[in-house]
Amino acid sequence: MATPVIMPRQGQSVESCIFSEWFVKIGDEVKQGDLLFSYETDKAAFEAEAPEDGILLTTYADPGDAIPVLQNIGVIGQTGEETEGFNPDTSDIESSSDTNHQEEIVTEIKAVKQEDSIGATSSSLVLKISPRARKAAESLHINYTGISGSGPEGRIIEKDIVAKYNEIPKATPLAKSISYEDHVDLPETGSGTGGKVIAQDVKNTFPGISDEEFEENKITNIRRIIAENMLASLQNTAQLTLHTTADARAIKRIRAEYKKAVSETDGTNVTINDLVCYATVKALMFHTDVNAHFTGEAIRKFKNIHLGFAVDTERGLMVPTLRNANHLKLEGFAAQMKTLAFKAQSGKIDPELLTGATFTITNLGAFGIEMFTPVLNPPQVAILGINTITMQPSVLEDGSFGFIPRIGLSLTFDHRALDGAPAADFLQSVRKEIEKLK
Amino acid sequence: MPKNEFIDPAVVRKPNQITFDPIPVNQYDKTIEDEKINFSKVELLNIYRDMKIIREFESMLNLIKTTGEYNSIPYNHPGPAHLSIGQEAAAVGMAYLLNENDFIFGSHRSHGEILAKGLSVIEKMDDDNLMSIMQGYFNGACLKVVEKGHSGSVKELAVDFLLYGTLAEVFGKENGFNKGMGGSMHAFFIPFGIYPNNAIVGGSGDISVGAALYKKVNQKNGVVVANIGDASMGCGPVWEAISFATMDQFTQLWENEFKGGLPLIFNFMNNQYGMGGQTCGETMGYNMLARVGAGVNPDQMHAERVDGYNPLAVIDAYKRKLQVIKEKKGPVLLDTLTYRISGHSPSDASSYRSKEEIEAWEQEDSIIDFGNKLMGGGMTDQGGLETLHTGIVKMVEKSLKLAGDDQISPRLDLEKDPNAISHYMFSNIKEDKMDDRKPQTNHSLEENPRVQQLKKKERFGIVDGKPVPKIKAYNIRDGIFEAIIDRYYKDPTLVAFGEENRDWGGAFAVYRGLTEALPYNRLFNSSISEGAIVGAAVGYGICGGRVIPELMYCDFLGRAGDEIFNQLSKWQAMSGGLIKMPVVLRVSVGSKYGAQHSQDWTSIVAHIPGLKTVFPASPYDAKGLMNAALQGTDPVVFFESQRIYDMPELFHKEGVPADYYEVKIGEPDIKREGADITILTIGATLYKAVDAADTLKQKYGISAEIIDARSIVPFNYEKVIDSVRKTGRIILVSDACERGSILKDMAANITELTFDYLDAPPIVVGSRNWITPPYEMEKYFFPEESWIIDAIHTKILPLEGHKVAHDFTNREKLDRAIKGV
Repeated sequence: MATPVIMPRQGQSVESCIFSEWFVKIGDEVKQGDLLFSYETDKAAFEAEAPEDGILLTTYADPGDAIPVLQNIGVIGQTGEETEGFNPDTSDIESSSDTNHQEEIVTEIKAVKQEDSIGATSSSLVLKISPRARKAAESLHINYTGISGSGPEGRIIEKDIVAKYNEIPKATPLAKSISYEDHVDLPETGSGTGGKVIAQDVKNTFPGISDEEFEENKITNIRRIIAENMLASLQNTAQLTLHTTADARAIKRIRAEYKKAVSETDGTNVTINDLVCYATVKALMFHTDVNAHFTGEAIRKFKNIHLGFAVDTERGLMVPTLRNANHLKLEGFAAQMKTLAFKAQSGKIDPELLTGATFTITNLGAFGIEMFTPVLNPPQVAILGINTITMQPSVLEDGSFGFIPRIGLSLTFDHRALDGAPAADFLQSVRKEIEKLK
Repeated sequence: MPKNEFIDPAVVRKPNQITFDPIPVNQYDKTIEDEKINFSKVELLNIYRDMKIIREFESMLNLIKTTGEYNSIPYNHPGPAHLSIGQEAAAVGMAYLLNENDFIFGSHRSHGEILAKGLSVIEKMDDDNLMSIMQGYFNGACLKVVEKGHSGSVKELAVDFLLYGTLAEVFGKENGFNKGMGGSMHAFFIPFGIYPNNAIVGGSGDISVGAALYKKVNQKNGVVVANIGDASMGCGPVWEAISFATMDQFTQLWENEFKGGLPLIFNFMNNQYGMGGQTCGETMGYNMLARVGAGVNPDQMHAERVDGYNPLAVIDAYKRKLQVIKEKKGPVLLDTLTYRISGHSPSDASSYRSKEEIEAWEQEDSIIDFGNKLMGGGMTDQGGLETLHTGIVKMVEKSLKLAGDDQISPRLDLEKDPNAISHYMFSNIKEDKMDDRKPQTNHSLEENPRVQQLKKKERFGIVDGKPVPKIKAYNIRDGIFEAIIDRYYKDPTLVAFGEENRDWGGAFAVYRGLTEALPYNRLFNSSISEGAIVGAAVGYGICGGRVIPELMYCDFLGRAGDEIFNQLSKWQAMSGGLIKMPVVLRVSVGSKYGAQHSQDWTSIVAHIPGLKTVFPASPYDAKGLMNAALQGTDPVVFFESQRIYDMPELFHKEGVPADYYEVKIGEPDIKREGADITILTIGATLYKAVDAADTLKQKYGISAEIIDARSIVPFNYEKVIDSVRKTGRIILVSDACERGSILKDMAANITELTFDYLDAPPIVVGSRNWITPPYEMEKYFFPEESWIIDAIHTKILPLEGHKVAHDFTNREKLDRAIKGV
């Protein structure tokens, strides 16, 4: 009996491989284990061995063909042996000699009630299936344990397997193999071309993955909007990020002073964040090209600075706007920041104040972030990310080496509107302003 | 019933008497002195010597069987050895006047006859002929053994050859005359006219009739002698042989050189016992066997009782009887009185006869008596006799040493060739004709009226889409006829006989037209003697002639049981391939004729090894298979179905060819292709299968593949296996009774060979295990189309909407088996 050569299976997900070349010709003799052909997946190339001794009688694959795994690509046997039955184009049960009437039989004949026969009690315990039907079930990957046989004495006969086969959806050889091996039913349709079931679909219906492994919640509107905005920003702008650090001794000193003052009196608290934001506003005043919107056709430079700043709330990220920040002194600025932040967090902010910013600042320094790439808030041309303060080695004023605190600054800008040099220039200004603060 | 023999009531109803002539009993009264003018001294001494050789040979075997050695030469022979000690004079006397053209057939007790005939032929034959025979026999294998160290004459060498070849055969050795396949009871040596001996009592009776027929029909010289025992007079085949051999037609209807009695002597070696039964006084009623001749024909078969204890009396009888044969007045019945001193076999304790009786006969010992006569006549003296004895003992010792030695005389090596005996079962030879001479016919083939009539018949049964009217269609009987008449004009030896063969044209008109073409000696009616019909055919075939015996109904196979199952099937193998059996036994399977005339016994025939069995069901197959059977040299039992003799050719679209062609024996035929189920048939059920296939297609959309077996033995399963691999389902149908049907053998083989491809077990549908009821009820007995459909539905593949009418359930099957019906 001749043996088929099949395209080998490569794991659970590779549906088909590219056939590369035969190492022998039709008519050549091979021994079991000889290299027979090569093939590749999209990750690697392989060589396959002959499964049996014999002569390569015929082939069903040419170099470059994409062949589903487990499909016949050739036949090895002795001269004169029949190979017709191995042809993958015709060996499907539907294309056997008399297709039409096979379908007739399958659709017209229903199970016939059998007469009572001897040993009915014992026979109901034994699964009766004819050898031919069992063979058909194996080659078609049909699980026959659930089928009720229409043959004599309830025997499962060939046409019962054929009927079951015709009920099942189209599937790739790999999908069928997985379904058969793991005793899992194939889904009705799948995600392959024309609704064909592929291996992936079978795995999706595995009962193996339990429902306790995840908790699923529908997303909120805010989440939905954030998601859309973030994706849109990254897809539709030419953003990139510049990083630098600023000497933080000044702002630390100022902060320490205010902290001391607030603990003794009832004055305004000024945070590091306030100081950096304030310095940024000052820098913006000299870089009108950064305090701008890009409309696609034009660049809108604003006369005032309406500073948006990111606030993390229970409901998600909010960016309230401090309008006309350029008119405020430090303490007034800090007070407004605090008020706006509070409103945002408590959910009582005026929606008007969530729009209209000309520039945005976002601060992740509290989490120890040293450098990041904040996402632009279009149509704004830039956004500044504030990072944590780290101790950096430096040459001190007196010429000695020492460590000074530096704060990280990450500026993302839209290259459509602003080039690298002006953006860098602005960032340098921000640094200078931070270092100049008194 | 030839019309020219007018049975006149005026004559036959006249008052009359049947009178009988006296039958001579032991009338020989010559002395040795009287015979000196007829025999030379040497001839008389040779008679003595021949008897002595036989006595010593048989005594040696007796000692071997009873003591395991002879003259200190050990040998163990567990096989049969029926010895004829005491009967030597009868054997030597019988063979004395015969030469190699005279054929003797024997019984289980024929060592003496083999040796006597051999010695007689050796004495008469010239050295060149003797050497050429010995060198040619099995390529000289036997000769090589006895030649070694031989320094005497060719005749002496030939005697050694005869003793060695016979003994080696008795011991079952490959150098034996029949390669050891025959053994003691079936040994023979054809070049000396020593034809097969038969272990079946009386078996040679009708076979020898066929041999005599062969000599007469083919105009060969010589007589045939059947050496059978007195107790065989109780056997049917022997009576049938006598009836067949004494038919009036030989002297009254046969013509020209063929007119006259058969050259046949029924020589009853009457040793007065049949194993233990005493024929005269206990188991037979004739008192003296020769009496039987008087009851057979007006010539009283020239019957005589001869004193077989006196070799010269026997020779004298033969001289006179051979003259009778020469005058074409045979056959002859001889009652040769003799007595065996040895028991039936070496294990026989002779409990059935008294010691006194044995002793009385020992007193009359023919060898001692003859020796005394010779000495009395001055032809030899005691010394001479002793010298002779010593020489003979040496001869016998030599043959025992050689035949007993497993190195010198090995047996057929079945270790080396496990299929060694397979080679002998069938000759598988093709032979246009068995002899070279112009076949004798009354007119040319073209002039034959039936041949001319056939030219006008349609050789395919459907013309322009319409069935041809039966009267105009070439049918199965035409096909059989055409093959047979064709062979008649090719093979001069071909003869046919049976009941109603001539004039009637065969009971089923197969032979119509043959009577006009052939003389009596090639086609004749036999007596109603089925046993002898087949037995004579066996004898005819053994002699090398081709013959078609016919049994009118296959139900009559039982009447020829021994001839078919023990003779026809076995001689090719028992002879180690020396004998061919070009016999085609035609039998027909009946219908409408009730219990004893409507049975299909193919399975019984198929079971016995050595018979080719065929059963065509279409004209194309019938002609092709008959041609193949008549071209071969193997026995073929050719089954025909009376139901379909007039069936036209419906499958071979080109029609039945007018020219010669063969259908290979052993090849089934796909009569119709299909995909869903295979139906395999033997015989006329082919047409029921066709109906069933049509119904399956029209009502249930199932396409059936129909395979016609055509042959049963041999049988090539390959096409069937391919079919079952394709369809997965097979149902087998024939008219034979279901139990023990040969289809069951096929079904078991198919299951073994295609198990993994089967969607259901192979199912056999056969006739009920009943007597065949009258015609009006036949449809309840023989398989019908509806049985096939119901069996498929119940056991293989349920058919939608089908309601079964016949019970094929397992319960029914078990119940029938419990009841044996």
